[in-house]
Formats: sequence, structure tokens, C-alpha cells
Amino acid sequence: MRASLKNGVAVFTPQGFLDGNSATALLTIEDIQATVKLNADMVLVSLKKVIFFNRNGLDAFVKMFAKVKESNIVTVGFCDYDLKKYKAILNFYREHVNFSLFASQDIAHLFASSFKNKNLNVLLYNEDKSQRSAMAIELHDGGHNPIIAQTAEEFKTKKNAQNAYDVIIENSYLGQMGQNVSARVTGNAIIYTVTSFLDAEIGNMFNIAYHNNSLNVGFRLFIFDAYKVVSMNVHALNFFSKLASSGAEYNATICFVGMTFEKTPIIFKENMEDAGIMFFDQMENILGDKELLSELGASSAAAIANKRVINKVIVTKLPSFIDATVATIEMMTNSTAIKETAEIHAIKVADHKDKIASSIGFYGDIDGMVILVFPKDIAKKACQLLIGEETDDIDLILDTLAELVNIVGGKVKSLLSDHKVNVNITLPRTYPDIDSLLEIAQDRKGVQVDLAFDNDKFLFFLTR
Amino acid sequence: MITNEKINSFIDKIPPAPKALQATLLFLNSGELVKAAQIAQTDLALKAYLKNIVNKPIYGFKTEVSEVSQIFGILGVSSSQQTVYNYMMTLLSPKKWELFHLRESTFHELQAKLSRRWKQILQHLDIDDMDIESAITLLPASIIVAEALFAEKKEDVLLLRSVKNLDYNTILSRLCGIDLFDICEKISIKWEMPPKVAQIVQASSGFKPSQDKKLNTLGKWMHLLLFYELSQTMFIEASLNDFIEFQLDYVGEIYEDFAKIMEIA
Repeated sequence: MRASLKNGVAVFTPQGFLDGNSATALLTIEDIQATVKLNADMVLVSLKKVIFFNRNGLDAFVKMFAKVKESNIVTVGFCDYDLKKYKAILNFYREHVNFSLFASQDIAHLFASSFKNKNLNVLLYNEDKSQRSAMAIELHDGGHNPIIAQTAEEFKTKKNAQNAYDVIIENSYLGQMGQNVSARVTGNAIIYTVTSFLDAEIGNMFNIAYHNNSLNVGFRLFIFDAYKVVSMNVHALNFFSKLASSGAEYNATICFVGMTFEKTPIIFKENMEDAGIMFFDQMENILGDKELLSELGASSAAAIANKRVINKVIVTKLPSFIDATVATIEMMTNSTAIKETAEIHAIKVADHKDKIASSIGFYGDIDGMVILVFPKDIAKKACQLLIGEETDDIDLILDTLAELVNIVGGKVKSLLSDHKVNVNITLPRTYPDIDSLLEIAQDRKGVQVDLAFDNDKFLFFLTR
Repeated sequence: MITNEKINSFIDKIPPAPKALQATLLFLNSGELVKAAQIAQTDLALKAYLKNIVNKPIYGFKTEVSEVSQIFGILGVSSSQQTVYNYMMTLLSPKKWELFHLRESTFHELQAKLSRRWKQILQHLDIDDMDIESAITLLPASIIVAEALFAEKKEDVLLLRSVKNLDYNTILSRLCGIDLFDICEKISIKWEMPPKVAQIVQASSGFKPSQDKKLNTLGKWMHLLLFYELSQTMFIEASLNDFIEFQLDYVGEIYEDFAKIMEIA
């Protein structure tokens, strides 16, 4: 069985009865290897659809957790259980619970670095005081307002207060949390999470290829969430200074949020500021200030120093890109897609009204970016299979469109691999309107293909 | 991915039940075991199937049973009818499974296990009804239908599932407005199976409870039984564990009884 991956959180959903035999059959060595390769920030096993489990059944997944943690620094655990299951798990493992337990996936997401909806009022209780504190620290670092109930009685009273809290956490347990340089996208900014002591190892932990391709895809604002950084040494200082210099040619901005210099020489801060890095106390100071965001480049047009042009290698692979897009749209809409025209020029969108877009970058043997532009209604139609119901919630539609373009990216990767071309894909990016898309794409030359399905038109653009 | 045309084409291609089978079932319905056996043994494939299935360990016979008359005699009218319906379902199964890692023998094993355990459940519920006993035979048709519709789209489904955990039934229902169990019902109509059979199997989907309280309860038992079997190593390895969505809340109230019958520790 394979995990579903969304926003850096991989979730396994076994069903029915979970004992030693069934769990071993569910989770093969190939499945474990595939999970390691996902590079997820969090790996969860949902027990929502498990009616019976025993220690041997859980052990197979606990071993998988250990294997994933050997290769990646990641948060692992079980989720979606009731009180009876929670007690059973604690009873099975007693003093050796080296994974996390989250009563629901929503609660787990609060502790994931990809979680976007910050500043929630969270009531929490755990009979273990150190657990209460650990959760409160994590939540606070994540930008939430944790309210700790010190006793079961206090928790019961507070829990009954209607609408007082956005989330209530009980029957949850924090194992060792992930501490890698994980990336998430908030609006049009990329947020990297850095923790503990920053030294020469940052060069290995930071995915520079991903960062460079994010620059190429059009991201201009990179925020380092440094609330949990204890100190940094001169090697890390050099790394960040170089990163800032290399981003300058793209007009990119690098910010540090929450970094204290109690155990780091203050001169380092001055050096980093000289390299163009900005410092903020709170994430909200940036993300909550639209004007500042615009100034910092999260939504502004940016002149790219090295404008890259579409080349022959990419064009020869065009059929793979078109096939992947057409196959995905056909799969999602159950209709036949038709290629209408294909021309090389800068992106042209005839009517900007009520259109949304999504893009995904790829890098490896070849690199570039695929952009899809949809009329809003068509995007809704294309996403209906994933959403499962009619919706006008634009955030949900954009979020699902990102999943769709992620499927296109996955299909491109697989089709190119058949031709011995290996690529990786970036996180998908979405654009609520055409103006925001043109800010990063208007000067790029590429192959524009107009496609139609059931007389509904959408646009495919392949560029570098 | 899957269109209504493809579904209709699949349904159209379902052959009518062979005459020998129709006659066998007719005699079984009227309780005439000897005449039913005489007709049944003229169909060599049916005879081989009956011999193979009743000699599986789950049936618990100490010595090999080989003659159709002997098989019908031991099974009795209800279980004989159930076994003949099981055979009819195999007529729909593909020669080579592509979507699920199944072989003919594994599929027969699933049929045998479901049938015997269904009988155990009916005994526990004190139900002695030939049609209800046969209802379980239609359930594996949902697997055959999923195989027939999705085999060519295996890669697409895997890709879809890499971002969202969707089962085949949900995908089909969202794309075409018809689900695997609706198609099972159409099969049962085409093969003139008793209406109760389709009603229980529809309820056993877990998301279409029956208005009839008794049939709905039977649907719950069948849903839980299906997932009990699909949690066995053999069927997990066949990728059957998540082909439809397990509705835990639907079966919660009968779980304790079920665990007792199946001796789950």
C-alpha cells in the first residue's frame, strides 16, 4: 500500500483488521522504500478505517517509521483514533512511544510545517505535564495560541465553552518531531523551517536544486522560519550570505523570522543584513502585511537576470508534456481533450476575466515549467473528481488545482522516465488571476498549446 | 477515464445464464436435489467447480467429495443453490486478472470463505432463508466489475491515489453517477436472481443503507465480513483491501458479535 501525499504530509489508510500478518502484507519493502523517497515532513498512519488492531499489526508500521527516520528527519505517527484505540496504543508501547499520536489528521496538521492556517486558538490537555509543554511550544512556534488546561477538570470546563477554541487537542502525544529544512508554500512565498544549531551541515540539509528551481518558477520571497534556531556558526553564516547573493540576480528576498541572537554573535546579523537578508520577529509581521509582502516580492513582477529560452531538447519532449496533461484532464473530467493549436511565443491569454492558473517546475536532465490556465468554471469541473462535490470556495479550488497539476507533474516524470529522461518536480504554484501569472511568465518565450475538451478551452504553456 | 458507454457495454456483454444452470437452479428452488444433480453433472465445468470448491478446507469435509449428487446431498438445498450461484459469478471473471493480483484459485478461495462464513453468521442470527444465503454470491461480482472497468486505467488510478485516497467505487460514482454495487444489481437482474440478493448487496456497500431494517442489518454483517476477508494476507496481496471504502461507523454496533463468531482475540 502506498501513502497519499499532500502538502508534505504522507498518509497511509489501512482498512479493516490489522494484525501481524495483514500489516506485513500491507506494507512491503517496496512500499517502505517509496515512502522514504517521498521526502515528506510528516508520515502518518490513519486508524480511521481500522476496526481491530493488535501490537503486531502496529509493529509493522512502527518499523516503517524507524526506516523512514533513518533516511529523513520527519515526524511520524498514528492518527484518527478514538479513546479506546489511544489507550490501547499507549498500553502496547508504554515507555517506548517513539512516534507521535494525533487524535485526528486536523490536529496532526497543526504540527506540520506545511500548515497554512495559523493563529488558531488551541485548547490542549495531556495528563503528562511535559507533553502539555512540548505541544504548547510546538503550537506556539507554529504561530498558534495554545491554551493549556493544567487538570482534567479544568479541561472539561474549558472544553464545554462554546466556540471559545478553534481546535481542542486531547488524547494526543508528541514523539520526536521532524527537524529538517522542510519547505512549504504560503501564498507566493516559500517558507523553509530551520532548527537547533546551524553549521556546515546546512549545506547538506538544504535542497539547493529545489531552491534554484523555485527561483526559476517565479518565487521571489523566501522566508526562513528560525524560531527554533539556537545558534549558528560561521559556516552557516557563509551559506546564507551566498544564498542571498545568488538570489539577488532574480531580485529575490530572503528573510529570517524569529531568530534570536542570544547565543549567536550579533555581528553575524549585521553581516547577513549586508548580504541583503532581512530579519523579522514574527511571521505574522510579514504574512499579515500585504503591502510589505508586495514590497518583498511575493506578488510583484521581477526582472530575471538570466532570461532563459525554450530550447530544442525541451521542444522534442513536448509530446510527453502534452500527453501527460491531456491524459490527466481526460481522467479527471471523463471527456476527450483535443489539441487545437501549438505555437512558440510569449504566453497569450485572450480574456483575463474569471481565469485561474497553476504551474509546476521540473528539473534534472532537463528543466523548465508547465503552466495551465483555466476558466474558473472549467477548473471546477476538472477538480470535481478530487473534491467530490460542487463548490465555489476559491481557496479549495486553487488547492485542488495544485493537486491536479501535481498529478500532471507526476505523469510527466513517469513519461519522461520511459524515454530515459530523469526529472524531479517542484511544489505546484497557483495563481488566483492572470495578472499574478503574467508577473512571472509574461516575458518568457515558450510553447503555447490551446486545448479543448467538450468545447471548453484551456491553455497549456511550456517554458524555461 | 470510465464512461457510461463503457459500463453499458460491459452490462450488455454479460451472457444469459446457461440453460443447464437455469434448470439446476429451478430444481433446487423446488427442493428436488436429485433432479438438480442430474442436470448439473451434464455441465462439466460446473461439476469441476463444485468438486473443487467443496473440497476446500473451509468446508471441513474429512474425505474427498466428488459426485454432484453427493455434494448437493451434503450441502442441502440452500447451500447448493449458493454454490451454483458462485459458479455463475466465475463465468464473469476474467481469464487473466490485471488490476488485482488474483488467480482463478484465489478468487474461488474468496468465494468459498465468504460463503461459509456467511452461513455461520446466518446461523448466529437464526436466519434460514435460501435467497439470503445466496446473497453473498453476488458480492464478489463487485470485484469482477472493478477489474473489468479499471484494468486498462491502472496507472491513472495509481497516480490519482498518490494525491488523494480514493477507492474504485468513489471514483466510478463521481465520474459516472453509478457505482460498482449498482452494476452488481444489474447483473442480478439479468440473471434473474431473487430481488433480496441485490438489496442486501446494495446495503453491504456501506453507504446505501436499506430502508428494510432486517436487510440493512444483513448489509452490515456482509460489509464487515467482506473486510474481514479482505484483511487476510492472500487478499491484501491481491490489492483488494482498499478497492472499496470500509465504513467503520456503519458496522460498529455488530462488531462485538462478529468478533465472537470469528473468534477474534
